[in-house]
Amino acid sequence: MATKRVPVVEGLFSEGADGARLTGSRCATCKTPYFPRSDLCHNPDCTQSAMEDARFGPQGTLWSCAVQNYPPPPPARYDEPYRPYALGVVDLADGLRVVGRMAVDDPKHVKVGARVELVLEPLCREEDGTELITWMFRPV
Amino acid sequence: MRDVAVLGVGMHRFGKFPDKSVTELCRDAVVAALADAGVQWREIEAVAAASSRFSGGKGWGLNGNDVVEDMGSTGIPVYNMSAGCAAGGNAFNIGYALVAGGIYDVVLVVGGEKMPKGFIQTSGVEEETDPEFLRQRCVGMPGPAFWALLCRQRMEEFGTTEEQLAKVAVKAHQVAVHNEYARFRKEFTLEEVLGSALVSDPLRLYEICPVSDGAAAAVICSAEKARQLASRPVWVAGSAVATARFDDGLPRGLAGMVPPGKSYHSEAALAVSKALEQAGAAPEDLDFVELQDNTVYYELAFPEDWGLCKPGEAEHLLERGETLPTGKLPINPSGGFLSFGEATTAMGVFQVCELTWQLRGEAGARQVPGAKLGLGQTLGLGGNGTAVVLKR
Ligand SMILES: [Zn+2]
Repeated sequence: MATKRVPVVEGLFSEGADGARLTGSRCATCKTPYFPRSDLCHNPDCTQSAMEDARFGPQGTLWSCAVQNYPPPPPARYDEPYRPYALGVVDLADGLRVVGRMAVDDPKHVKVGARVELVLEPLCREEDGTELITWMFRPV
Repeated sequence: MRDVAVLGVGMHRFGKFPDKSVTELCRDAVVAALADAGVQWREIEAVAAASSRFSGGKGWGLNGNDVVEDMGSTGIPVYNMSAGCAAGGNAFNIGYALVAGGIYDVVLVVGGEKMPKGFIQTSGVEEETDPEFLRQRCVGMPGPAFWALLCRQRMEEFGTTEEQLAKVAVKAHQVAVHNEYARFRKEFTLEEVLGSALVSDPLRLYEICPVSDGAAAAVICSAEKARQLASRPVWVAGSAVATARFDDGLPRGLAGMVPPGKSYHSEAALAVSKALEQAGAAPEDLDFVELQDNTVYYELAFPEDWGLCKPGEAEHLLERGETLPTGKLPINPSGGFLSFGEATTAMGVFQVCELTWQLRGEAGARQVPGAKLGLGQTLGLGGNGTAVVLKR
């Protein structure tokens, strides 16, 4: 039986034939990108909020990275036994600066300035084996 | 606007006090501040208090009401200010505004906190519409990891070394040995700091402030009142509060736009520049700074953000000992958050206490020689920033 995969939170990302994308909005007037979706443009200099659905990714550059060496407090999720994971801040080519985990085996192998791509990977597993999926970044 | 003086200050030592309530911690700080000011509780016309999420306040952040009930219910107005870790700074700003605006003559500003054990959960909200909740649930990036990301970025940009990061902590403890209110009054060697566990690579345990219990209070008053009481007032040259700008480049929440320029923690920079403007002072006029060093990174990044030094220069100032009380740019002569631990909502008032002692020349072995003008700064969740400039 195939492993069941469900998003850790609904409505934040999708996977199509062209790969993984973040689901957000962009203001048609001032071009500001938003993730997650926003009903209103928050740019104080924008003359007219005009929000449209937008998809972001997959290409980006790693602005910075760090390691989460200890188990994070709730509401974070992780599998036992805890394994430190790498975190990244990524500047996507389409103008969004976004945080995410790094999809790498060894957190030490992540370098600032690296080109990365968006992927959807399991954050942790439920007791019944269901994988909770979130967005991550993988060096290319 | 009227001139405002800091008439008296008081603190409860920081640490872990499982047998004391937050009300008891505040009581000690308030009693000490009243005695220092030479003012009776009856003379306090209003209270501006920091709202706590973690302790007292009847679960509603009514921490000022706890203090008034404890000291004696005289019917005075209470302003409970909520601004995350900036709440103490925010309360000071409101107290200042009430006196400067001529509403009251004598106001008590107070912040006290008993923190839960361990690293704190950033948000208290468990809803999928809350950006902090989403960030922790979908990514798992607590406060120290956020600081580590900023720190790594700086290391890439300026070549900051792990030794330099550790030296900030060594310096903090070196001065805190001389502060009776500090939680940690022990020197740490470079090897001890570098040997402490990685909390969030590149940051280590001794390079991040822990959480503490503690309280601080200040009695502020109008210039007229200050002269009547013939004390040694320290003057409020500037007090400002700000929130983060839209074009701030910090990765808050899940995402923002890739910023047009380099602007992080704009709430802090805005508050500091506003307070300096009110004081009619330039950054180089400051004799010392008490800044929010949740981690060693901030002691390197903030001075250049605020124009106190050139970008990338902070590491060199540190190496040359210029950030010690006797240096050119003394930073956190109190020992800072690294030596006190963060009793989150007390911190803005804690800084007012240290600024006052320094400006009176009462800081003993950690005294900044000839200190005439000092800056205090805090920031908190929600993009809250505060700054205060005191002078003698
Ligand atoms: Zn817009």
